Amino acid sequence: MSESSTTLPAAPLDEPSTRRTLLRVGLGAAAAGYGAALAYPVYRYLATPVERAAEAGAVTQISIPKTDEPPAGSALMLQFGARPAMLIHHADGSLVCFDAVCTHLGCTVQFEPDQKRIFCACHSGVYDMRTGQVVGGPPPRSLGVYHVEATDGDIIISRV
Amino acid sequence: MNYPMWDVPVIGSGWVIGMIAIFHVLVSHFAVGGGLYLPLAERKALKEGRDDWMEAVRMHAKFFLVLTLVFGAVTGVAIWFSIGLASPESTSTLIHNFVFGWAIEWTFFIIEITAALVYYYTWGRISNQLHLTIGYIYAGAAWLSLVIINGILTFMLTPGSTWLSVAGSGTEPSAFWYAFFNPTYWPSLILRTLVCVALAGVWAMVTASRIDGFEKPQLKAEILRWSTKWLVPAFTLMPFVFVWYLWSVPESQRQLLQLGVSTIGAGVFTQVTRAALVTVMTSATILGISYFLAYRNPRDFTFGHACSVLFLALAATAATEQAREMLRKPYTIGQHMYSNGVRKSQVAGFNQSGYLSNSPWAQGSNETGRLMFKGQCLSCHTVDGYRSMRSLLAGRDHDSIANVLKTLHQAGDDSPYKAYMPPLVGQPTEIEALTGYLTEMVRRPSAPAAGDN
Amino acid sequence: MATSSYPGSEPRPSSGLYGWLDQRLGLEELAAFGRKKMVPLHAHSFWYYWGGLSLFFFLIQVTTGVLLLVYFRPGPDAYNSVRQITYDVEFGWLIRSAHNWSANLMVLAVFVHMFSVFLMKAYRNPRELGWWSGLALLGVTMVFGFSGYLLPMDELSYFATKIGLEIPAMVPVLGPLIADLVRGGPTVGAETVQRFFALHVVVLPLLFIPILMFHLMLVQKHGNAVPPSEEAKDPAMRRAIPFFPNFLAKDLAMWLIALNVVAILASMFPWSLGPQADPLTPAPLGIHPEWYFMAQFQFLKVLGRIVPGLAGEFVGIGLFTAMLAAWALVPLFDTASASQRKARAATWFGFCAIGAVVLLTVWGYWEV
Repeated sequence: MSESSTTLPAAPLDEPSTRRTLLRVGLGAAAAGYGAALAYPVYRYLATPVERAAEAGAVTQISIPKTDEPPAGSALMLQFGARPAMLIHHADGSLVCFDAVCTHLGCTVQFEPDQKRIFCACHSGVYDMRTGQVVGGPPPRSLGVYHVEATDGDIIISRV
Repeated sequence: MNYPMWDVPVIGSGWVIGMIAIFHVLVSHFAVGGGLYLPLAERKALKEGRDDWMEAVRMHAKFFLVLTLVFGAVTGVAIWFSIGLASPESTSTLIHNFVFGWAIEWTFFIIEITAALVYYYTWGRISNQLHLTIGYIYAGAAWLSLVIINGILTFMLTPGSTWLSVAGSGTEPSAFWYAFFNPTYWPSLILRTLVCVALAGVWAMVTASRIDGFEKPQLKAEILRWSTKWLVPAFTLMPFVFVWYLWSVPESQRQLLQLGVSTIGAGVFTQVTRAALVTVMTSATILGISYFLAYRNPRDFTFGHACSVLFLALAATAATEQAREMLRKPYTIGQHMYSNGVRKSQVAGFNQSGYLSNSPWAQGSNETGRLMFKGQCLSCHTVDGYRSMRSLLAGRDHDSIANVLKTLHQAGDDSPYKAYMPPLVGQPTEIEALTGYLTEMVRRPSAPAAGDN
Repeated sequence: MATSSYPGSEPRPSSGLYGWLDQRLGLEELAAFGRKKMVPLHAHSFWYYWGGLSLFFFLIQVTTGVLLLVYFRPGPDAYNSVRQITYDVEFGWLIRSAHNWSANLMVLAVFVHMFSVFLMKAYRNPRELGWWSGLALLGVTMVFGFSGYLLPMDELSYFATKIGLEIPAMVPVLGPLIADLVRGGPTVGAETVQRFFALHVVVLPLLFIPILMFHLMLVQKHGNAVPPSEEAKDPAMRRAIPFFPNFLAKDLAMWLIALNVVAILASMFPWSLGPQADPLTPAPLGIHPEWYFMAQFQFLKVLGRIVPGLAGEFVGIGLFTAMLAAWALVPLFDTASASQRKARAATWFGFCAIGAVVLLTVWGYWEV
């Protein structure tokens, strides 16, 4: 077997440093481009459900038929875009709708008609059942409120 | 329609041009760039008094001569034959406008060929200085032939408003220079010149890779390193010139790059993504292999590596040339003639008086549907192969096909096909005959092609 | 390839991140070992890359396979989930096409690797175990291909799997039982997809990876074999390059090129998805097994014509097994010290086998 390290011309390490910098930038850019060409499709592939959810979340208004209205003194959980929402039919006949995600750590809240409150079981956060304001527990902010409008046949819920 | 259509099964007539043209592009750009490479390499060898370099350059010249004069010239003529058969109308338009341009190109071509032959066969027989001069004459003539042909090629994408204003008037040659120095002329000329220089380096790497790196490590390393430097201008300037080029293309055409690949997953993979993906990956690989193997480790750079670099250059060229062709849809000559040879100005007339009654070759035939198909679909589609009508229309019945054709015929602004397909022209009876023909075609059972899984 | 690819170049100073890692992992020792290890260089060196290429395609398979797992649902919903991947998920068709193309290229690379090893006589002692583990890897690769082909459950894969299962069903006596077990019932259906899925993503990788490790360990232990034409040369005339960095750089260049080929094929020729498999519709014309099963399939088909009936099945399977055994046992026949006559016979056997496989495959496609 012949010896490998035959005498080769001087290694191109003694080149002027600007040219070497340019070369490095060029090679770096090429490698970055290649990496991006691989990573971009994979990113989009994995992110598709996220993008779809964002599209669904862009919903500004939903409507439900009047027949689906919850009986007075109870609540109906529904999907507003990608988030759960809570439509409460109070005993006095008024309708309010809240974003049903606790502002503390994101659990879904529940309506407790007998306690007259909205409650989050995760860390005992308590919200007012008419305004969504924090009454007790750790939540930092009140619940998001949607605008509710009852027409002849439908209940229309929209972003404020 | 003055000419009958050329029916090439499975691949379609467009791909006949495509396959010849991609090969021709690789060789002809080498003919230009290599023309400069040879005298410059010879000059370096003379100045440094290197006989071994001289011998290597001579071997490269021999390879160059065979490749460019034989394959370059043969594929060049083959392009003439194939475009004449595949799109006779647009070829005719080009000849009518550019016959003078081609005469100039022919002159340069003759000088180029003569100089190449003289250059190779006078090697060592005439004074070094004279021999070098002949080399420079070759380089100049070869580049000037690119200067001319580039005018005609870019004209097809962007004829320019001046030429379009006289198009069809019979006085088109009066706008010759406007058509020649059209909006994409300069960026395209610079792009192609950069490609020429880069390909000169790539092909030189192919011949240099055959030098035995164990016996002549010094020679192999020097030639390879010198050759890889020819890639530098292209790799540094190309992105900028490319942006300039795209910027010179009309907005309506640029939008075509946003079009999805029609066969699969439309909308998620646009032409521009596809071309960019292939071009970026292959270019980065070429750079990596050229630097890490040819430049840093020349002894181990083999013929196989050189061929791979060449293959990747071919893939990058094919991807970008295809994207450029895509930009031209639905025209062969921008804003003037559609890809099936119908002029924009003729559409209304054909709808009025009939498509086939204006086609001399279709007189006396009663196969209206088949002739409509040949005349207006076949320049881009095939029955079973590339852009297969049978699979594109699969599952549709008579009424559904009639609806598609109606959309194509009206070519309204809401038509999804308008961006890349010509309007369907003809009288209602002709379109009905085409509907019947296509319905019959779709209904006939067909075996899936072998290997089509 | 960050290190200088110059033979004899100075080792890097042990500072910075490299130094930190070096102290803990012994990178310099590894590099020194790699520099000392030589890879022979000769007219047939090209074939040395095919083993590495097979490995690289396998790595692409693992990566794209895991990505497909993100959306694929085995069982009755298989077709729909593949439809979703192909048409709905962004770039899903690209990932799927890359998986398909790379699978085919992997089978091709493994075949090229096997035949080149055979013809270079790289199976001779002490490399017998390398040969046998390689054959095992080929077997697992083909089962990978067969099981993966069904997973989309479109018309073509459904019928091709049906036909493919005729081969095990031909095994005398036990055949039908084996086929039933593989299918999970008398017909190909949701049950079959479910068990093919388990096979494809769990069982086969668990088999493949240890055998692969063993195979690579043997390559490392014995080094690259040189073909007889090189052995005949004067040792002083033989050439070699260090594994690190020279051969590794060339190997990586090969991998990069292979990745480009996969990317170009996948984006230019995306894999389509046929209509959903429906046992009630008649099989479309021209149904055939995948190309790498074509030769075997055609062999049994032709023999069935010559010797019809149950006898044909016995003869077919018998002959097939005998030939496979002869192929596998060649290291015992053509040893390093075997006579010239035996060595020549083995070479002829190799060429005949390649010829037969190519001929039968072409013949098979001809008859489709």
